[in-house]
Amino acid sequence: MQLLSCLGVILMPNLMDRLHFLTAATSLGPAFIAGAIVTQEALNHQGIFAVLIAVFLLCFGPVLTHATARAVRIRRHGDWRGQPDEKVHRT
Amino acid sequence: MNEWLVAAAAMLVLLAPCGYVAMRGSPEDRLLGLELGSVITAMALLLLAEGFDRSIYFDLALVYCALSFTGTLAIVRFLERWV
Repeated sequence: MQLLSCLGVILMPNLMDRLHFLTAATSLGPAFIAGAIVTQEALNHQGIFAVLIAVFLLCFGPVLTHATARAVRIRRHGDWRGQPDEKVHRT
Repeated sequence: MNEWLVAAAAMLVLLAPCGYVAMRGSPEDRLLGLELGSVITAMALLLLAEGFDRSIYFDLALVYCALSFTGTLAIVRFLERWV
């Protein structure tokens, strides 16, 4: 999962596309690793800490991604809200 | 060398592309490389702790997660307002 995210971050042309791959690395990868450690160690000190780290990254990784996207939009457009003359692609 | 240490070594190898992303492009691209690199470093610390079977090293990974989150958030706010 981390390898795929690294490849995506390198290969994707757009910054917003790269952010999607970053979210996979911050949420799924730690959850898989914590699952492996809990399977090996059960819920002792090490297992609980692995779960804590995975939960922490699961909660705060999207916060960081949102903050990054917000900062990028403010840097590009001056405001995070939609602009009146901005083209919006609707499906 | 058990399987946990092999996985930790793979994580350390994955730091190289993050460094590559963090050294080129716009400041936003570099920030993205930093974010991915901090998560991969935290995972490497976690795997090293399990590989060496030292429970005190898990505290290091948890503290690194918390500190890297606050540090990166501070950089994001800095980029948003002043750069």
